[in-house]
Amino acid sequence: MQARRRTPGVVVALLAAVVFASYGKAQTQDWDAVVDEARGQTVYFNAWGGDLAINRYIEWAAARVREEYGVELRHVRVTDVAESVTRIIAERTAGRASGGSVDLLWINGENFAALKRAGLLFGPWAMQMPNATRVNWQGNPSTMTDGSLATDGFELPWGTAALTFFFDAARVEVAPKNPDELLAWIERHPGRFSYPQPPSFLGSAFLKQMLLALSETKQRFDAPVADDFDALTLPLWRWLDRAHKSMWRRGRLFPQSGPAQRDLLAIGELDWMLSYNPAEASRAIRQGEMHAGIGALYFDAGALANSHFLAIPYNSGATAGARVVANFLASPEAQARKADERYWGDPTVLDLDSLGADEHAYFDVLDIGPATPPPAKRFLAEPHPSWTTRLEQTWLERYVR
Amino acid sequence: MHRSLLTRPTVSLLLGVSIVPTTAGLIAALWFGLDAGALARVIATPGIGLSIGSSLWTGCIATAVALLLAHLAVGLAASGNWRRRLNSLVLPLLAMPHLAIGIGLALVLAPSGVLLRLLSPWATGFELPPDWLIVNDTGGISLIAGLVLKETCFLVIALAAALAQVPAEKLQAQSATLGYGPLKGWLAAIAPALQQQIRLPLAAVLVFGITNVEMAIPLGPGLPPTFSVLLWRWFTDPDPAIHAQAYAGTLVLLVFSVAAIAVAGGLGRLGRKCLIASAQSGQRRAAETAVRRAFGGFLIVGWALGALSIIAIGLRAIAGPWRFPTLLPTSRSFTTLQDIASLTAGVGATTLALAGATALVGIALVLPAAEHCRQSVTARRQVGAWLFLPLLVPQMTFLFGVQVLLVRLDIDGTFVAVLWSHLIFALPYLWGILAPARAAIDPRYEQVAATLGVTRSVTWLTVTAPLLARSMLLALALAFSVSVALYLPTLFAGAGRVATAATEAAAAAGSGNLRLAAAHAILLAVIPLAAFAAAFTGGAALFRQRRGVPR
Repeated sequence: MQARRRTPGVVVALLAAVVFASYGKAQTQDWDAVVDEARGQTVYFNAWGGDLAINRYIEWAAARVREEYGVELRHVRVTDVAESVTRIIAERTAGRASGGSVDLLWINGENFAALKRAGLLFGPWAMQMPNATRVNWQGNPSTMTDGSLATDGFELPWGTAALTFFFDAARVEVAPKNPDELLAWIERHPGRFSYPQPPSFLGSAFLKQMLLALSETKQRFDAPVADDFDALTLPLWRWLDRAHKSMWRRGRLFPQSGPAQRDLLAIGELDWMLSYNPAEASRAIRQGEMHAGIGALYFDAGALANSHFLAIPYNSGATAGARVVANFLASPEAQARKADERYWGDPTVLDLDSLGADEHAYFDVLDIGPATPPPAKRFLAEPHPSWTTRLEQTWLERYVR
Repeated sequence: MHRSLLTRPTVSLLLGVSIVPTTAGLIAALWFGLDAGALARVIATPGIGLSIGSSLWTGCIATAVALLLAHLAVGLAASGNWRRRLNSLVLPLLAMPHLAIGIGLALVLAPSGVLLRLLSPWATGFELPPDWLIVNDTGGISLIAGLVLKETCFLVIALAAALAQVPAEKLQAQSATLGYGPLKGWLAAIAPALQQQIRLPLAAVLVFGITNVEMAIPLGPGLPPTFSVLLWRWFTDPDPAIHAQAYAGTLVLLVFSVAAIAVAGGLGRLGRKCLIASAQSGQRRAAETAVRRAFGGFLIVGWALGALSIIAIGLRAIAGPWRFPTLLPTSRSFTTLQDIASLTAGVGATTLALAGATALVGIALVLPAAEHCRQSVTARRQVGAWLFLPLLVPQMTFLFGVQVLLVRLDIDGTFVAVLWSHLIFALPYLWGILAPARAAIDPRYEQVAATLGVTRSVTWLTVTAPLLARSMLLALALAFSVSVALYLPTLFAGAGRVATAATEAAAAAGSGNLRLAAAHAILLAVIPLAAFAAAFTGGAALFRQRRGVPR
């Protein structure tokens, strides 16, 4: 793993350790009170609902928290969590400061930044969760800084992953290791490569991955965008200008999202897809949605790392229930099932070394598929969020004509 | 006389249910949408000109083509005595929601779609799908095709209903004695009169064409999308500044829709003049057989596309990896079937409950008002026109205003709020069926009952209601299918908490996940078709032993 320089993350981790050590007992009592208060509450969990396996996983979690804590978990399936952010903002505009329609959010990146800046989040609460002690804060800095923004305990990590390129192994004999080799493949196979349309989540991730892979000084991107944007992003636009000419539909149409691209790979329109989930292809094969013979790769320059989180809106009427659900979702039991490719296959945020033997046992029986790559050797930090916005804007200006 | 009718409690309740939220929503939309800064940002959006252009282009061309085809269809059917067959051809396509047809067509027409699979590789030689920009094309041709398919059916029904108001057979006979072929006679004598009658439905088609997301999501251009899809994306953006942009954008949408209606009105007058001039020219062309044949071919293609769409939806929903060019999925995963069942069970129940409630409450609102308006054509027309107004406003514009108001009232996301929003869209159709049906009942039946000393309510139940039964069944089915198809009203009034087949299918199609979209589109397609089938079977069964009873 690449050395990380984010001091705020380390500070938060140390603070958290101090907090846990000194208030351990009071903490337990506080937690018991939260659990008591949560009983009987209904938690509206606004989470992206575009994936069958994830929906089923959340159904399982709902059954577990009902049985264990008497909390009623309702999955509000959203197309994009941004819809829920919109709702929370609309409710603030309408003056609804309590009893809001959203109790728990599956969130990260810009959506989190928007809510945090506007002061629309409940908390800080995440560090007080019993299962927060098990999170791999130091080994995986993306659990602590969400798109360069410190989480400050306003959200609890739920899963973590690295941007993975998947390809049809029958058509990609030698896996490209860098942007130049990928471009050469694209030009030899016109119409067979594409990426999700920015500003969709994975589309923007692709732009960032390529920008970082094409740049020498990656540290520059930790700081906000400045006058050097044009100069620093020039290699990216040059690469895209050339690639688009040989891409699917000549770059005049793009898959609308990650799942859309997966669909296109499965039916044979494309030879590539992208995912933040290294287990995505294995899971699709297992569920009969994808043909076998899918390979995966990370660029030598490293894989863009990304964590996703759980947050609670300020006007939720069930903050206790929401915390109980979040804590359960970060438990070894729930995290192991989440990492298991039979159910979801999303890598855990927990530090497995910190678990006791009985907790670790959950992870000893995981099923890992043939199209899942070995863990990435190098991670690329997310650029500062201002880069994302500017990249998306520039992409639209250049390619929407 | 009709003015006093409009103030009757039953009539004003009916109108209030529809007009009050629409007006309030529009006012709220203006209040929150008029923001110069946001408007400037809308205009500065990359590709905004193309976006608005493709909305206008697709909506206007689709409406014009659909209108032409509908006139041809009704004209040819009326002169060729296959009017009843035309109805049975058109109704299944009409019952299918736009979203389902859109998703289905995308699955048929795409380079990896059913159509090319039928021909590959034996005829085309394609082992890989060709890299053709057919669906989501920049010119919006596939979107236009989808809209034409649906709107022609709608206009055929509207024209057929209007035909009852025009002395068509007399006019046709007159033009025949003057030596005109049936088609020319139709165009010269009857079409202009019908055109007057269907101005409102036509305007609704135009507005829907320009502002819809249901078809533009699966079929419309992607880069940039149509203006309405762009707005739909903005509405779901986390950035409040972009949100304000969406509010302001709905007003732009409103302006363009109103302008399009005005222009269409002008063109309509022009078209009438041309038709009349052509009639006065006295030319009698003999090419009618060719037109008839070509049109027959057109109908068959349209119908085949519709049927293929349904098949494609079914295949896509259950298919495992379905590599091009295999025609039928080689494997079918049982987890998928179970997934579909478990996924759609809850959604299906909500969809059915909403549709049932919409149909029943709608009929309960419409019947008493229809009772009061039974003797006045003018009153019926006025009520119909008022009820139709919400269909002439872009849905997004007033619905977003309604959403803000619902949040203020703290009733957003409730079943009742969604039901109400559905009623707004179902009432005009219910009125269109039930009001004329009620008026058509010969008053002497009731007079006879009255002379026998029966009270009015008993008369209604024992005499009027049975005579209305068949219309009521049809109205039920229509309201049902309107409700099932509604996407934006459910999204805005339901606060994302009320999940129906339409919201789930649109969400999946929006993220490009056609497999998931297809799973929900099955529900979207099947429920309305089943409702219509039930209505027709029910109607036939009711009247089996009552031959000779006016229907």
